[in-house]
Amino acid sequence: MMMIRAIVRPDKKEQVLEELSNAGYHAATMIDVVGRGKGKGLQIGGILYDEIPKSLILMAVEDADKDGAVDIVLRCARTSGTGAVGDGKIFISPIEEAYTVSSGAAGL
Amino acid sequence: MKEIIAIVRMNKVSATKKALVEVGVAGFTAVKVMGRGKLVKDPSVIEERKQNLLNLAGQYDSHTEKRVTEFLDGTSLFPRRMFTILAHDEDVKDIIEAIIRINRTEYKVGDGKIFVSPVFDAIRVRTGETGEAAV
Repeated sequence: MMMIRAIVRPDKKEQVLEELSNAGYHAATMIDVVGRGKGKGLQIGGILYDEIPKSLILMAVEDADKDGAVDIVLRCARTSGTGAVGDGKIFISPIEEAYTVSSGAAGL
Repeated sequence: MKEIIAIVRMNKVSATKKALVEVGVAGFTAVKVMGRGKLVKDPSVIEERKQNLLNLAGQYDSHTEKRVTEFLDGTSLFPRRMFTILAHDEDVKDIIEAIIRINRTEYKVGDGKIFVSPVFDAIRVRTGETGEAAV
């Protein structure tokens, strides 16, 4: 199992979630976060904005589903055309065990 | 070292905190999150709670019913608390058992999920200790 952490633009969140759901990856967790990337934030006039709002989407998927889910996030979260600075990042880490609380069953 | 991510109901937060202290793991980080789980395919699972909520509303139309159904069957996002707990390998089993015991309800769906991931290193900021000593 893999944990996918995708940081996307807040205005792309809805579309990403909808497409993920359509493709069968329904389960997800959302957090509103602030952060900066390689671009070091936004310099507008004399003011540096380095706490830029983004949405963090957490998803646990089976290993085989990882590429499919990542493809959808990449496709939906990218600014139309070639993409733009600030579109986000995706991180993937391993999950060793997962449990459903209501049944106590192991697995996703 | 392991990282345990547990997503639980909002009204189970204090019980979960208490349970964590009882198994000897007082430290955690918690954030409010919005999320959804697997879609509920069998409507009979949520029927009872749906009726309870609709009765609370008194008079209702199809729009209210649709909203309530979406809230219960996992179509729309709903609020949950996400705990992140750093633990020694040998404590993981006890922590998972405690969280499951406290958070299980009779509602059949929506009790939450627990994920366990490996952690490669941890560092205590105050002393600079690394590895197991920093947990």
